[in-house]
Amino acid sequence: MSLWRLAVRGVSFYWRTNLAVVLAVIVATGVLTGALAVGDSVRYTLRKTLEARLGRVQFAILPQGRFFRAALADDLEQQLGGTVAPVLQVVGIITNDDGSQRVNRVQVLGVTDKFYAVGSGESPDRRDVGEGVVLSEAVARRLGAVAGDEVVLRIEKPGLLPHEVPLASDKDRTVASRLKVQAIADDSMFGRFDLQANQTSALNVFVPLAWLGQQIEQPGRANMLLAAHLKNGITAPEARAAIQKVWRPADAGLELGRLPERNVLELRSRRVFIDEPIGAQALKAGTIPRGEGVPPLRLAGIWPAEGKQGQDVLAAAPGRATGVLTYFVNEVRLGDKTTPYSMVAALDSVPLGGGEIIINQWLADDLGAKVGDSVDLSYFVIGPQRRLQEEHSRLKVAGIVPMDDPVCDPKLMPAFPGLADVNNCRDWRPGIPIDLGKIRPKDEQYWQEHRGTPKAFVSLETGQQLWHNQYGSLTAVRYPWREGLAQQIEQRLMSTIDPALVGLFFQPIRARGMQASSQGTDFGELFLGLSMFLIAAAVILIGLLFVFGIESRSQQVGMLMAVGWPARRVRRLLLAEGGLVALCGTIIGVAVGLLYTRLMVYALATLWSGAVGGTGVYFHAKLPTLVSGGLGGLLAVLFAIWLTLRKQAIRPARVLMAGGLEEGPERQGQSVRGDVVRRFFKCPYGHTTNGLSGIGVAVVAFLGVAIILLVTPTSGGEAVAGAFFGAGALLLIGTLSLSRAMLRMAGGSARPMISLQGLGLRNTTRRSGRSVATIGVLACGVFLVVGVWVFRQGPVENPQTRESGTGGFALYGESSVSILHDLSTESGRKQLGLAGQSLDDVQAVQFRVHDGDDASCLNLNRAQQPRLLGVPADALTRREAFRFIDGVKGAGQEQGWGLLRIDDLGRGIVPAVGDERTIKWGLHKNIGDEIEYTDERGRPFRVRIVGMLASSVLQGSLIIAENEFITRFPSVDGYRVFLIDAPAERADAVTQKLSSGLRDYGLMLTPTQERLAEFSAVENTYL
Amino acid sequence: MVELVDVTKTYGEPGGAGAVNVLKGITLKIERGRSVVVIGPSGCGKSTLLNIIGGLDHPTSGRVLLDGKDLAGLEAGELARIRNRQIGFVFQLHHLLPQCTVLENVLIPTLAEGNSSSRGEVCARAEALLARVGLADRMSYRPGELSGGQRQRVAVARALINRPKLLLADEPTGSLDESTSQSIADLLAELNREEGLTLVVVTHSRELASRIGHVMELSGGHLNDRGQP
Repeated sequence: MSLWRLAVRGVSFYWRTNLAVVLAVIVATGVLTGALAVGDSVRYTLRKTLEARLGRVQFAILPQGRFFRAALADDLEQQLGGTVAPVLQVVGIITNDDGSQRVNRVQVLGVTDKFYAVGSGESPDRRDVGEGVVLSEAVARRLGAVAGDEVVLRIEKPGLLPHEVPLASDKDRTVASRLKVQAIADDSMFGRFDLQANQTSALNVFVPLAWLGQQIEQPGRANMLLAAHLKNGITAPEARAAIQKVWRPADAGLELGRLPERNVLELRSRRVFIDEPIGAQALKAGTIPRGEGVPPLRLAGIWPAEGKQGQDVLAAAPGRATGVLTYFVNEVRLGDKTTPYSMVAALDSVPLGGGEIIINQWLADDLGAKVGDSVDLSYFVIGPQRRLQEEHSRLKVAGIVPMDDPVCDPKLMPAFPGLADVNNCRDWRPGIPIDLGKIRPKDEQYWQEHRGTPKAFVSLETGQQLWHNQYGSLTAVRYPWREGLAQQIEQRLMSTIDPALVGLFFQPIRARGMQASSQGTDFGELFLGLSMFLIAAAVILIGLLFVFGIESRSQQVGMLMAVGWPARRVRRLLLAEGGLVALCGTIIGVAVGLLYTRLMVYALATLWSGAVGGTGVYFHAKLPTLVSGGLGGLLAVLFAIWLTLRKQAIRPARVLMAGGLEEGPERQGQSVRGDVVRRFFKCPYGHTTNGLSGIGVAVVAFLGVAIILLVTPTSGGEAVAGAFFGAGALLLIGTLSLSRAMLRMAGGSARPMISLQGLGLRNTTRRSGRSVATIGVLACGVFLVVGVWVFRQGPVENPQTRESGTGGFALYGESSVSILHDLSTESGRKQLGLAGQSLDDVQAVQFRVHDGDDASCLNLNRAQQPRLLGVPADALTRREAFRFIDGVKGAGQEQGWGLLRIDDLGRGIVPAVGDERTIKWGLHKNIGDEIEYTDERGRPFRVRIVGMLASSVLQGSLIIAENEFITRFPSVDGYRVFLIDAPAERADAVTQKLSSGLRDYGLMLTPTQERLAEFSAVENTYL
Repeated sequence: MVELVDVTKTYGEPGGAGAVNVLKGITLKIERGRSVVVIGPSGCGKSTLLNIIGGLDHPTSGRVLLDGKDLAGLEAGELARIRNRQIGFVFQLHHLLPQCTVLENVLIPTLAEGNSSSRGEVCARAEALLARVGLADRMSYRPGELSGGQRQRVAVARALINRPKLLLADEPTGSLDESTSQSIADLLAELNREEGLTLVVVTHSRELASRIGHVMELSGGHLNDRGQP
């Protein structure tokens, strides 16, 4: 016979009582373990998702609106010692065979076998199916397509320049193909490839790289590189440095070629304009020391103007490169005579003053111009928000050059898309509004005879003042030809230009992804937080049930004490019994916790899929989690049992043996410390306190609640959630203490209570501790229910008002292909083919988009670089759209959307606004915090959060000013996100007209209320 | 062996309006090996007196000496140890543990200090005691399977397991029928005689008292000697 044996006897004999305790322990431990294991499962899922979407990719060069040689991948492999896969990524829209199913904004990926080598290693089985398309599972599911089906794939055809740039044609922006589905790529076949840290399945369509290159007229090129299996320890800067060693002019979109007839070497850009830093280096690269036998640069002889006769103007710049900027002007006017649509070249070898121009003989004849006359030039430039605006300049004719002069060089015209490649003026499609009706037969004849030969010449300085834009201020650089010069120039350029300037820089994609997944939403904490009161209620219940069991055996306790068992040993026996019961409950509870986890995982994959963005969740429970969950539950239960046992075996044995549970006036052997503790908290024997201590505790708790409410910011986030639960717990303690004090006072009343209510009150007050515990259990449950209820997001209130989360907009839209024109203007709608659609009452605020991580509640990963939206702040300021709940202090007069105009944050810091959910939950940031980005030229810049909106339809992104956006991402053209004002009663009609009219852009419109409701649904699902 | 010196016991605030003086200056000396039966009407304070002698209750005033040691000055732990080692208790309601066998119940007092060094010895003693009280064939039974008299015999065996010097019995036959009561009374008397135990029995039954030993009557808070049966 031993204490443990006696304990086992007790446990088995009183199994009915203990069963109730075991069940409560199972609930507490099961919920605790389950919550932690759900956290494990979600973390595991995020890791699996990371592996599925990145494969073995460590670094990546991301598309920056430019193209480089696909062979650069091979060159880099030599340097980096791993596998580098070239990828061509464009956006597309895919529909099934009969057009009944459509998926917008799919990633169309032109890949080679190397792509699968950097992925999971497996590639879709494409044997025997020939050319075609491989769909990711997500796309196939949405289309309802299987291998062998036919689909129609419409691909955005990226331009060499952003389509908005003047003279960059915006015609034929998409190309469609009917393709056979060769295979469906699941996760193991890299079907989920995605460089953004999202756990939702990417919508991928895979086609052969070569085929895609042909389709978008970028043969042999790629715009993305994926590097894997690299030498150990290679860092992002080292990977970047490797590019410098192997890149070629073609990787920067540059072409070096000899013009034999001019005996020059010419540097051009495939993007028409040479990037300014490259242009500067190109001019420097041509500076060749004198005395090396380099002939003086003679681009051409110019028929000099009066007074400059005989001057060798070109000799002014011997031994150096000549910059050229050739531009398309709408009109050259002298008085009432005009010449439409002409090329004007700016040359830095032309010795002209700022207001002077040399014209060719043909133009002089057409206008009747002579030296000394002043002509007016009209031309388009890129205005604010990249809107075309026509500018005018008056220049004095300083000379007239004959048509046979070498300077009248048709090759001075760059390869303007829509101009350079057509034979007739009637076929011009220059991407700017032109009136073909103005073109006269003589103009057509000039085109036939001289093509794009400039009709006039200005100094480079003048030309750059007039036509400089952010894409460059040169269209060519010419060097005097000599043998070996091309190699020399190439070497100089490639070694002095930072490849990052043209978007060629590796980014540590895997490290970023791992950070995103490791910092992702902790479902364990989430479940634990919401389950805490359930666990607390279960623990209280355990205490109650246990004490009921023990007190029903008080005579046994009395007997043991009477026969000489010290009180401490009696308590040890009872604790051993409780421990055994708790252990049984814990073991079963852990098993139940696993079942609970499986259930939760199943629910997250089905019923609550909205909470995890529709992605599957893998069951995964780590042993340490189970152990800690079990131990946590066991300790909580043992603590509850210990608390109840403190009150046991302290009454006299004779009282206990008499079956007396009444609290007697006497006690034995209690320490002073224990006495103080008991007096403060419980006062288990005798009503030696009159409830004052309870009132004291309640007052302290209520003060705590008041302090929390005062110091907690009004905006949401973890602080508010923490304050809610903290204040709730304190409120619970306070009200329970108050309840106990009131019960004590009521119980101490000597006034006769001869009524049913009085009897009930006597019963309640007889064992106030138990009554308070019962109140506590119920209160925990009610708190949980109320807590969940108050956090539930209801429908948007007053959605039509500007202050609401809808911003007062009726529709939210996203397009697959960027839209270049303003939906709010008639001309814009006309350009988009929406004329006559009765859309005059429709206004839109349009956002430029730099893709990034989704920072909305739909993403479980912690967004590292959220999507950036660029918007003209005035458009939202004017409407006073959305409600700001916080902003930077000391921001001068700027407030609301004006915060985006703050310009004194420091160099390289861009002000940004986001909504509360994005900033607090998606990014775990606050006002004043910064996020580092890299612009498309590889230059880091920081986005500082200066304003916070209340929950809104803009959730998931950060919003910056459009001018800042364009500065950082000049290659991003057009708008892809839209907030649309439309009369409420016409919202459906507008949706239909816009969606239908802009079908090829893949415009998806959603009522703003619906979008907000989707976000709310996720939060409600969490609850 | 046991000496009470001017022991009083008052319930309520001494001197207060509601104070009840149960024992009023009891002085008593019981020599080793003697048996004393305290009788008196219900509520006269017999059990209180027995509890005070057994260290289960404190006197309001006066001294309780056990082998010359004053119980009033002892800490709870020491008092428990004395109860465990030197005093055996037999209660009116046997207070056996229903979850334990008869043998285990007898062994309960031996677990008070957690010393398992002489488990075999105490088990043998328990078996001997059970044989002594006529329950050798019931050792593995549960209390629920025994009659009232048998349960009380188990309680007696339990009281004797630690070889106490003093056996205190509080209404040991209070819930038994007459013949069983007599049997228990005879057992106690026999133990007193054969084991040399000092025996203090509290009962309201004069007949039982007459079978055991020296009778004293508690009345009005005073103890009066009624002499040998």
